[in-house]
Amino acid sequence: MFFTFFLQFMMPIRVLQPYRMPRKPKKNNRLVTFSPFGRSIAMATRSWRATKEVEKPERQNKDLATSSLNGFKDNIKDKIQQSDSSDDEEFEGDVQADFVFFDPKPDDFHGVKLLLQTYLDNLQWDLSGFVDLILGQPTVGTVVKIENDEDDGVYSVVSALNLGRYKASSCFLFCDSKCVLELKDFLLKVCQDMYVLGKLKSLVGEHVQHVGLLVSQRVVNLPPQLLPPLYDGLFEEVEWATEDEPTKELQSSFRFRFYLIISKIYKHKNADQNRGTLKNGEESVIYNRPEDEIFFEVPSGMFSVLLLSYQCANLTSIKCFCSLAHGHSVFAYMHSRLLLMRQLKNYRPMGLVMAVEACKISSFREQLHLLIDE
Amino acid sequence: MATRLQYENNCEVGVFSKLTNAYCLVAIGGSENFYSTFEAELADVIPVVKTSIAGTRIIGRLCAGNKKGLLLPHNTTDQELQHLRNSLPDSVVVQRIEERLSALGNCISCNDHVALTHPDLDKETEELIADVLGVEVFRQTVAGNIIVGSYCTFSNIGGLVHPHTSIEDLDELSTLLQVPLVAGTVNRGSDVIAAGLTVNDWTAFCGSDTTATELSVIESVFKLREAKPSALVDEMRKSLIDTYV
Repeated sequence: MFFTFFLQFMMPIRVLQPYRMPRKPKKNNRLVTFSPFGRSIAMATRSWRATKEVEKPERQNKDLATSSLNGFKDNIKDKIQQSDSSDDEEFEGDVQADFVFFDPKPDDFHGVKLLLQTYLDNLQWDLSGFVDLILGQPTVGTVVKIENDEDDGVYSVVSALNLGRYKASSCFLFCDSKCVLELKDFLLKVCQDMYVLGKLKSLVGEHVQHVGLLVSQRVVNLPPQLLPPLYDGLFEEVEWATEDEPTKELQSSFRFRFYLIISKIYKHKNADQNRGTLKNGEESVIYNRPEDEIFFEVPSGMFSVLLLSYQCANLTSIKCFCSLAHGHSVFAYMHSRLLLMRQLKNYRPMGLVMAVEACKISSFREQLHLLIDE
Repeated sequence: MATRLQYENNCEVGVFSKLTNAYCLVAIGGSENFYSTFEAELADVIPVVKTSIAGTRIIGRLCAGNKKGLLLPHNTTDQELQHLRNSLPDSVVVQRIEERLSALGNCISCNDHVALTHPDLDKETEELIADVLGVEVFRQTVAGNIIVGSYCTFSNIGGLVHPHTSIEDLDELSTLLQVPLVAGTVNRGSDVIAAGLTVNDWTAFCGSDTTATELSVIESVFKLREAKPSALVDEMRKSLIDTYV
């Protein structure tokens, strides 16, 4: 009802992996990174046998876990054989990592905070409070760790937060808690198109009770095979929460009509100039994460996406400009972090805010499966 | 009094700053908030100097110093060295040392009288430390960790060490350092003490994630709450003679 944009992007669909695994022969298996976290990352990237166990004892009736687990394992085994044969002469032995999914716990504070450091670009905000909100919601949300990891590192976190739910304890009921307030202010500040701003205001204002902030952050090299079960798990938990939460208020707080996603993309510097100057093979937008592309792309026909990407030239000022492309509004923002990758030298890092209707989530899940499981 | 602050959303303030009794070094590139918090506490008393070391902002972990001197790693640029020599008081000897372990802040933990160092430090470096900083040097480990500069931090009044330090180790270190020590955490359970906390004899700065409990432990072991003139009198009361009868 709110947003009826018809998307006509003719972008070729290609999932780009910003990281390429190093293929240098190594004399020994000793990992030369200095922090325990760095070591864990290096170990995880060298492993190709990623198995998944879902540790949620209260969900006995979940068929998804077993069925996808079997499918998942078979899939991985094929991949292993493939990679082993080609890598035999280069790798002396694979490091294996078993990824395990957990409910968020207060102990995961530091790991989750590290993953969310750049969530709102480099805004100074109450990140600790935000992490506490995620960890305070064990029923909806997942944290990915490695089994028997002595450092207990967090490799990925997903959660869905109802932005209308968190009120400051010290103040009247209509006063948001500090981190939610700062988050909303940030979103409204980076959007300067009046048309999109109005819709965004209603999303974070009067209709905030129906909006779920989809938080999904992970280390860059996390095996993509984990994504379908991760997202499936999250959306299933949201469904169960609408039935299982103790109070009616909490149950209804999980009946999301929209999901808000804040993410990062790379936009070609010439993309705004009527796409005539793009060289062959260069795309106008590169997505950091494959699921963002699926959220953006039309499953079929029409779906509502509020697209806003924002440009930030330096710490204190935010320059925004608006470009209308194919009937929807796009705002660009630039990260203040510099890009070092040569192949991205023609691209600007941008932030991206999307609002996706909750009814489209099932088609998103299917598409994600298709994309990753191929 | 202990102050909580952040450097660009990062609570590891001991990485981006170095506080001693004679000067304070602060990393460039952060927001003015970070710098002004230090200035507000220290401006009238000691110089607060903005700098980088080896072109990086992690100055707290690369340098080691006390009121008598400052040691810099070999990759400090000439400009940075000159800037520091110009900005710091003349009583402070600024010296660049050739040492393989260049993160001196991680390898050396010191106050104005004693220093604990990484067991693998060169002999020449140890002599330089004793010379420039005017301290007695002990090669030690803290809770089994060799990078002592990260896992303990102490002033002339007290010290905080890694939470898993055993009682025997605590006693031994306390005897060596001649200050009371306590095993604790900073920044909501982080055991890298020196990264989350920077302290001198009358003030301390720690990351904003530090809980109230951790803050009260810090204030009590470094005796920051009692930095008032009456405290001095109370301590000396037994030896003061008020009246002659």
